[in-house]
Amino acid sequence: MSSEQPEAVAAAPATKQLSVVLEDIVQEYPAPGGGVTRIIDRVSLRFDQPGINMLLGPSGCGKSTLLHMLGGVRPLGVASPSAGRVLIDGVECSGPHDDAVMVFQRYANRPDLTVFDNVAFPFRLRLWRERVGEAEWRQRVEDILKAVGLSDKRGLRPAQLSGGQNQRVALARALVLRPRILLMDEPFGALDAQTRDEMQRLLIELHRSWPCLVVFVTHDVTEALVLGDRVIVLSTQPARIADDFRISEPRPRPASWQRARETLALEERILGQLHQASPGRGQLRVTI
Amino acid sequence: MSDFWNPYAALAPRQRRLLGVAAVAAVLLLWSLLAVSGLVSATKLPAPWDVLAALAYLGWHEGQSMLLTATLWSVGRLLVAGALVIAIGIPVGIAMGAAPRVNAVLSPLVDPFRSAPVVALLPILVMWLGIGETMKIAFLFIGAVVYLIPMVRDAIQAVPQSYWIGARDLGATPWECVQRAVIPMAMPRIADAVIVGFSVMWTYITVAEYVNARQGLGQLIQNARRFSAWDQVFAGIIVIIALALATYQFMVWLKRRLYPWETEQ
Repeated sequence: MSSEQPEAVAAAPATKQLSVVLEDIVQEYPAPGGGVTRIIDRVSLRFDQPGINMLLGPSGCGKSTLLHMLGGVRPLGVASPSAGRVLIDGVECSGPHDDAVMVFQRYANRPDLTVFDNVAFPFRLRLWRERVGEAEWRQRVEDILKAVGLSDKRGLRPAQLSGGQNQRVALARALVLRPRILLMDEPFGALDAQTRDEMQRLLIELHRSWPCLVVFVTHDVTEALVLGDRVIVLSTQPARIADDFRISEPRPRPASWQRARETLALEERILGQLHQASPGRGQLRVTI
Repeated sequence: MSDFWNPYAALAPRQRRLLGVAAVAAVLLLWSLLAVSGLVSATKLPAPWDVLAALAYLGWHEGQSMLLTATLWSVGRLLVAGALVIAIGIPVGIAMGAAPRVNAVLSPLVDPFRSAPVVALLPILVMWLGIGETMKIAFLFIGAVVYLIPMVRDAIQAVPQSYWIGARDLGATPWECVQRAVIPMAMPRIADAVIVGFSVMWTYITVAEYVNARQGLGQLIQNARRFSAWDQVFAGIIVIIALALATYQFMVWLKRRLYPWETEQ
């Protein structure tokens, strides 16, 4: 019920020390037949530098729930997390906060607003209206529309755009706030392969010019390898950390890298870890 | 005829219009035949041309138009009641849809009336409010608002949660989420509720105007009935149907103009 916002104004993310900590997170739901089902079991994670962090796990493993916790969004009628703490810069996070902005798989673009107004939507809210003057936010919207390549589509409505363009709008709406943390919940999951490639490349570009902390949830092994500075593999039922490694290869990572023996070995390793942790449960996708 | 039993087959607009006109023409023809044959006495079923003549008589006779006066009175009452329905029903419905506690309190008070015979309330309204305009407006208001409120509530609750979550994540307060994300998305269905409300009021207008009939289309019909002028009764009914249809068509057109995006997605 709390609507107060922490007062941290986002500075340029690269210059400000950032620390996001998940501490012994447990999530339980009432089971249909009584009792409780544990879907996340004592997950601890620490993010302390800007970069793209991939949360990879089978569909339905609870990775989106973890992401919602980081964003402070509680869509469910259940206390979340059931146990454990989320700390952002050492402060326990108990509700929506403006350090993190989410991008959802089902883009929440408003069908009644133009592209411009969709991206400018946050500035209709008191929080951002008080912080950013109109001249500045208009400029920011212009800039981000240019960055995502939608300047010439500003007057169109979502129904007149393709799936990829709609997801660009959602991405622009998040980045226009210059967040220190960008949370992405299978953002490209509903797109066709070619559009997904384009969007991945766009994300890499945008991240280069605005190097914030990205936590990116996916069940696509290839996507995790192509995008991630760090890949965290989650098992399912309950979700535990099955693997956690870094990839130092610079982005964009060409097709030759994706087919290289080391990459395929990584893929094998991920699938092996998952099979060991939770055999035969959930679905992963491999696109190459 | 291969797609006669096919709910998904789209008719050409011309064909659809043709079939509709044919149906109305068939009824008129049957009606005319009955009138000419003498099978039904003219006092029970006036001929179509008699109804037309009555319509002309009511429309203009001795320098005045009874029909226009009556229509203006009825439309006036409908507009006053409609304004009240919108001003009170929409906010109440939104509050019920957006706040489960408000819904829990109000729904047992509102929902039963949806299936209750509102006409049965008329004697009580007469007792409380007398037989003047207040009673007529109140009757129309109650008749429509008990439909409108639950429909508005359902419209709010039908908005996908993703809009609420999205706005909340961007820093909206809970009320801002409702105001800036949920209500705009519910507007097309709220407009549907208003359209239904007006249709309901057109069906109740004659009932409201039967009591202490002084002015209005209900009075016109009631008066004609008293003098057994069945051609005028039929004419009055036809006018009410035409006005209700025109109101409906206009409001649907208005809704499409105001919320063109609803059909796009």
